[in-house]
This record gives sequence, structure tokens and C-alpha cells, in this order.
Amino acid sequence: MNTITFFLILFAPVYAAFFEGAQRVLKAKMQRRIGPPLMQPIFDMYKLMDKRALIVNKTHTLLGLFYFVTLWCVVGLIYMGFNLLYIIFLHLLSSIILILAGFSVKSIFSHLGSNRKLLSIVAYEPVLLLVCIAIYLVYGSFEISEILNSPSHFLSLLFVYFALLLIIPSITKLSPFDAPKAHQEIVGGIEIEFGSIFYEFLYAAKFLEMIFAYSFVYILAGSNHLLGTILVLFTFLFVNLVDNSTARIKINHMVKIVLGLGVILVSINILGSVL
Amino acid sequence: MSLKKYRKKSPWILHYNCGSCNGCDIEILAALAPKYDLERFGILNNGNPKQSDIFLVTGPLTYRSRERLVELYTQMPEPKVVVAVGSCTCTGGVFNDMYNVENGIDKYIPVDVYIPGCAASPELIIDGVVKGLEILEQKTKEIEKPKKLLGELDESKASIDRTKFAGNIDDRKN
Repeated sequence: MNTITFFLILFAPVYAAFFEGAQRVLKAKMQRRIGPPLMQPIFDMYKLMDKRALIVNKTHTLLGLFYFVTLWCVVGLIYMGFNLLYIIFLHLLSSIILILAGFSVKSIFSHLGSNRKLLSIVAYEPVLLLVCIAIYLVYGSFEISEILNSPSHFLSLLFVYFALLLIIPSITKLSPFDAPKAHQEIVGGIEIEFGSIFYEFLYAAKFLEMIFAYSFVYILAGSNHLLGTILVLFTFLFVNLVDNSTARIKINHMVKIVLGLGVILVSINILGSVL
Repeated sequence: MSLKKYRKKSPWILHYNCGSCNGCDIEILAALAPKYDLERFGILNNGNPKQSDIFLVTGPLTYRSRERLVELYTQMPEPKVVVAVGSCTCTGGVFNDMYNVENGIDKYIPVDVYIPGCAASPELIIDGVVKGLEILEQKTKEIEKPKKLLGELDESKASIDRTKFAGNIDDRKN
């Protein structure tokens, strides 16, 4: 691990906040609004630091903190070029810690949020695993460092890219697949009982989830880093356009669409590379 | 580094309707929508008391909604600002002295900004919220209590558990 990687990992929650800021500005521009400044998530984090601390119970707060730390480790492993399978399972562990946090309080809205988060994991996790297998079949390795050094085979992973376009809104909680977020209707879902500085960890974890989701798009391009950057930018624009122009779908439809269509798309890709 | 100046850069709103005719609520939603675009000040309609800074209340406070009003107020972590939107919320408005109405929310919780109007226009709401931000900047993190907790209700009969109230630590000691 060299110095640049170390600093990239250390400051991941800070510069990832600018992605969130850019997303909010982009959405505002699409709706012909002025929108918040680019630094807005950083201001939000400063403000949350300044609030009086409220704790529901110690387990709940600690699990929220562990969720953030585990997700930070996931981002660290991605930058260090680790095995894709380890990364996916560590990300799954972080989501399960968050779900346990949701179940550790008495609030029914928190339980509802946890159930919805579980269903969204059921929807996107098998597709993510199949995406890894498809990448392995094309690049011959699960190690990110090896994938990024081998020549680009993006065209033979085209259907995997389409599947990723389908599940990225579900991972980063954008519509039409933002049922686990559903903010006003079920008042925040899984995040409802977190307040002040302890909510800040969950707020920063959202940015890290974005890095996790878009890194999958980046590694599809192999050693062609220009193509990788273009793919990430296009995906960012496309996903936000879809988010602005669609309404939320029901949770059972979300599971059917994401799981059904995603598995079919990746399976076609896997069959194509095996045959 | 003083974090106080960042308070007014990202105020998150909690909006509660305690018996309003929905006139003011529609104007609040209009202020949040693209034409007036409150998000350019960093304002979000959060819908969760534990993460909010500004409490936007509409309606003349009916007899049934006062417990929820006090409960939401105590769940908000300090520093917090209460903004009463509309004539009903300030004084009771056209519902003044009716049998089911408490004539304004300031009997129950301390109000920082009063916004008049029936219904209050989006421009007035934005002015009121911006005025509230100035007050928010001067507030400390000391616990602010509601004036009355639950009115004349007999708490033991109503099976209300006081330990569930977040901001009510002093009462718990007694």
C-alpha cells in the first residue's frame, strides 16, 4: 500500500461527501432549481456534530458505528485491490449490522425499515454475486488489482453493465428502487432512531455506499482507465436522470424486477462467456 | 473552530400539522418545491424529530393533537427553533375560543418566530424560517422544556410512561 492509497482510504468519507453534493446539485439542475451548494453534505455533517447527543440504547448506537467502520473497511479493501468476493461479503456483513441496529430498538418504524432493507438485500445481493462470477469468467481473477492490470474486455461484459445499472439505484437508495429509504412515509425507516452525532455516521456511510457501487462499474473496463471514468460518469448521469423521472415502486415489485431481470441479464452474460 | 456558524447552513425541518385546514401546509410544500426552492439554503424537510433543527407547526392546536406536539418537541435535540406558521397557530385565528381548540401553540411550547397570514404565503414562510436561523445561531445546547407537559390530563389514567420522553430527564429524577 503506497502513500496515495493510504490517504485515499483515510479521507474517503470526506471526498465522498462531494459526490453526494454533486448528486444533489445535478438533481436540482434537472428540475430547473438552483439547488444547494456543493459543500452541503459537509455543512450537514458539521451541524450534526453541534447537536446535543441523544441515545436510545447503547447497542443501537454501537451497531450504527460498526456499520460505518465496516463500510469504511470495504472501501479500503477496494482501493487496496483485494478479492471481489471478500468485498461483497464484508459489504453484506455491514448491511446486516445495520439491520440488527434497526431491530435493537422498540420503534415499529425502525423494525419496518429493517425489514425493507432485508428485502432490498434479497433483491440485489444475488445479482452482485453473479456479477462477480461473470467478471471472473472474463478476466480470470477475483482480485481487483489483477483485473485493473489486464486488458479491457468491456464489450463481453455489456449485459453485466446493464444489470449494474439496475442494481445501483437499489444500493444507493435512489428511485424507483428507494423503497427502503421511503423517507416521509415511514419517517426514515432504519435511520429513524439515530440522532445528532450518531446519525452522522449513517449519513457518511451513504457516501461510502456510493463509492462501493460505482467501483463495480469502474472495474468492468479493466486497464482502460479512461473508459472506466467515462462509464462511471455516464452511470452517474443516467442513474440520476432515472431517479428524477420515475416514482417509487412497491417493495415486492422491487424484489421481482431487480432479482428477476438482474439474474437473467447476468446469466445471459455468463452463458455467453462459458459457451 | 466554532461549529455555530454551520447551524444556519443546513437547517432541517420537521413539519407538524396540529389540526390545520391544510392551507398553510400546502404553502409550506410550495416553498419546498422548485419555484421557491428552499433547498438552496440547505433546508431539507426531514420528517424525523431526532434529526431536525426547525419545528414548523401549523394549525390551532386541537385538544387531541397537543400530546403529540409536546412529544415531538421533546424528541428534538437542542439547539432547536419553533416556528408557528399561520394565524391559527399564533392565536387560534378563526377557531379562537372554540371548545376543542387551545388557541395557539405557545401555551404548550416556547415559540421563537410567529408567521401571520391565513394562509401564510411562501415568501412569508421563507422570511420566517430565515429569521429563525438567526435565533438558532445564538442558542445554546441547554435542554429546553415545554411549558406544560400534558395539560390537565391525568397521566396515570392515560397510561402514559414519562420515562419514554427524551427531553424529560429532570422529571425522571423526581
